[in-house]
Amino acid sequence: MHRFFFWVSLLIVVMLIVPTYLEACPGCKTLDDPIGKGFNWSILFLIAMPFTVFGVISGTIFLHYRRANTEPTD
Amino acid sequence: MAHNNSEVQGRQPLSNARLGILVLLGAETMLFSGLIGTFLVFRVGNVTWPPPSHIGIELPRVVTGINTALLLLSGYTMVQAWRAIQKDRVKQLRNWLLITGALGLLFLGVQGSEWVQLIRNGLTLQSGVYGGIFYVLIGCHAVHVLSAVIWLFIVFGMAMAGRFSATRYVGVDTCTIYWIFVVALWPILYVLVYLS
Repeated sequence: MHRFFFWVSLLIVVMLIVPTYLEACPGCKTLDDPIGKGFNWSILFLIAMPFTVFGVISGTIFLHYRRANTEPTD
Repeated sequence: MAHNNSEVQGRQPLSNARLGILVLLGAETMLFSGLIGTFLVFRVGNVTWPPPSHIGIELPRVVTGINTALLLLSGYTMVQAWRAIQKDRVKQLRNWLLITGALGLLFLGVQGSEWVQLIRNGLTLQSGVYGGIFYVLIGCHAVHVLSAVIWLFIVFGMAMAGRFSATRYVGVDTCTIYWIFVVALWPILYVLVYLS
């Protein structure tokens, strides 16, 4: 166990000593270029959509149930 | 026991059909989001739009604007059909459904004639990114309008057969939700593709 932590610590120290510039994706290389901005807007839009869809569906279900609970029963 | 089941069904806050159509529309929204995301990459990624290779080709903005108004009007008539069946007015339901279907077919007809003109002017699916994204995005919506029109005429046929009443109109209900989705989507696509 101690040996494991030693090697992990050593790896972290080496990574901190020798920093390198990493590109996460090819599109992010040219963020100032129009194509980079295009990718940015597209990614932001696509990130937002699943939350929007889930929000609308769950909101509709919630409103239907709340309306059903507040309506007086016969 | 059957009586109890029907009572439970009657008290359901959200019917299975409505829930099903909501999930379907969620999937449809994600499909169009992917296409709009692709369009954004090309649109924002190009300083000049349309690209220099398509400079001479103009999209018919005015005619499509009028067509947009027709589709929005069909959304109104569809809601009227839905309201009519809630009041048990079956004859009014049939009339409003017929008007809505006619407006949908008119929208498709105008769009089809626009496409013929654009293809004659040289804008095809193979003519580059501009043509490709235009036909895929607008064509995908047109297929949805067509399927909505087919669905609407099936509902119209059921209305003619007297299958709907004020207490039983799930077919009209789901068709209305789908129609409103297709109608509401179009102005977004129009602004993005034709006006941006």
